[in-house]
Amino acid sequence: MCDDLPVRPWFPLLSVLAITALAQPLSAQCASNASSCVTCHETQGLRPVLDSAQIWHVDHGFGDLCASCHGGDPASPTKEEAHLGLRQPLADAANSCTGCHTDDSSKYAERYLRAAVSMAPPPHVTPPTTVPPKVTASPTANRVLISLAALLSVALFFAVRHARATESRPLLSCLRDKIWSPYSAGVLLGLVVAFAEVICGRPLALSGAFDKLAAYLGRWLFPSSQYYGHIMTAGVTWQVWLMVGVLAGSFASSKLSGEARFRWLPDTQWEPRFGASRTLRLVVAFFGAVLVQMGAGIAGGCTSGLAISGGAVLAPAAFLFMLGMFAGGIPVAWFWYRERAA
Amino acid sequence: MLDVFKALMLGLLFGWSLQKAGLTHYARIVNVYRFRDMTVIRFMLTALVVGAVGIQLGIELGFATNAPIPPTSMLSNVVGGVIFGVGMASAGYCPGTIVAEAGEGRLDAWLGGLSGLIVGALAFGLLQPMIMPSLARVGALGRVTLATLTGASPWLVLLVFGQVIVLMLILIGRMGNDTTNPPPAGD
Repeated sequence: MCDDLPVRPWFPLLSVLAITALAQPLSAQCASNASSCVTCHETQGLRPVLDSAQIWHVDHGFGDLCASCHGGDPASPTKEEAHLGLRQPLADAANSCTGCHTDDSSKYAERYLRAAVSMAPPPHVTPPTTVPPKVTASPTANRVLISLAALLSVALFFAVRHARATESRPLLSCLRDKIWSPYSAGVLLGLVVAFAEVICGRPLALSGAFDKLAAYLGRWLFPSSQYYGHIMTAGVTWQVWLMVGVLAGSFASSKLSGEARFRWLPDTQWEPRFGASRTLRLVVAFFGAVLVQMGAGIAGGCTSGLAISGGAVLAPAAFLFMLGMFAGGIPVAWFWYRERAA
Repeated sequence: MLDVFKALMLGLLFGWSLQKAGLTHYARIVNVYRFRDMTVIRFMLTALVVGAVGIQLGIELGFATNAPIPPTSMLSNVVGGVIFGVGMASAGYCPGTIVAEAGEGRLDAWLGGLSGLIVGALAFGLLQPMIMPSLARVGALGRVTLATLTGASPWLVLLVFGQVIVLMLILIGRMGNDTTNPPPAGD
């Protein structure tokens, strides 16, 4: 069952070796995302634009829109190239908004100019060298965490005292197993997440692939949509290839274990509760998937892209998302499987 | 080109791990919300802690200056999560497992799941300009992490985070109530 994998001493060592061997230092990490602006300007709490009191930033924080107003080339790998043609939007407020707000740009320009004047000093006079909010080392937080770590160490010591030893067996035979221990599979996924984040500079996100593919349909159906014109442009992106990989990986895994075969219904639990109707399964599958994708859009990612990848960089967004998942899922699961009045 | 290759390889291992963990089963996913099968939680928490250590190590060793951090805006994170949870607990799907289910030959995932994802993405595209600008503003903290938020050392935050998760894993392991274990797979 490969149950013993995570506790084998060579495993962590192997992960470290794998990360170091296959990685090359990224000099141009900044260009590895769709919008390099955000990657450089808004990471690790430095210059968080969304945090600023500047309403034009807050208003546009829902997408990677920097270049629409500021100009420049977000796709360039070097700072010099990316900053070519940068504009100071408020210096020419009348024209800055017309790129997206074709009909009513003056409305926004006036509002922003008013807000800018009321701020001291006005940002269009002082170039936007927004003072990076200093990440000050907080001794109190450190001390609290050290005490917490000490307490948890004691708890962990008692918890693992009874850890049982398991037999080991040849590694390759694991490939044909129908199922792995969730811990072994989890270690693999964790390494994949770390790789994607560190080497590719991307979260391991799948929901975005469907946004990008749906955008082909979206821009054709709604040609005047701002969203499909500027925010969600269609494209076969990195995430789409990731999705193709997932399809292949699942096929390979199920083929090797003899699990791959065509079927219409889930193997267990569905039929006793909902019956053998294929139509019903398809309808529930369809609407479930619609909700899942919409939820991922609103939250900013799915289980892999936000909960796991975001959680692995310790972003609060991930934990809030998981909280919401359970808040939504528990009552619904109860509803489907409630005791029906006899 | 190299980028596409990396994406395919990572996707391959991702899909492999989903299938091997048994996340391609409707019952596995739904039973998390009924507290009858904690496989998904074990899988996710393990991935979280390994991923977190790997990322911090990668940054420390200089392979990257930073990792992309998703923006926190409390209301939209939670509201999105609730909608996501409703769909997940009904169909037993999340975007990743739909693709993995399609990979092992499930036709409900091909026909219902994948088309649902595309339609869901379109629906979000229509709603986005109406709801997101106001929704995303509530409790918007920007691209923060627990470390930047508290001002503590990232390694220390990571240590406590890892300890909490490992403790949770051990406690959940003690519960030992995986009713879909042995897996429903395999005829």
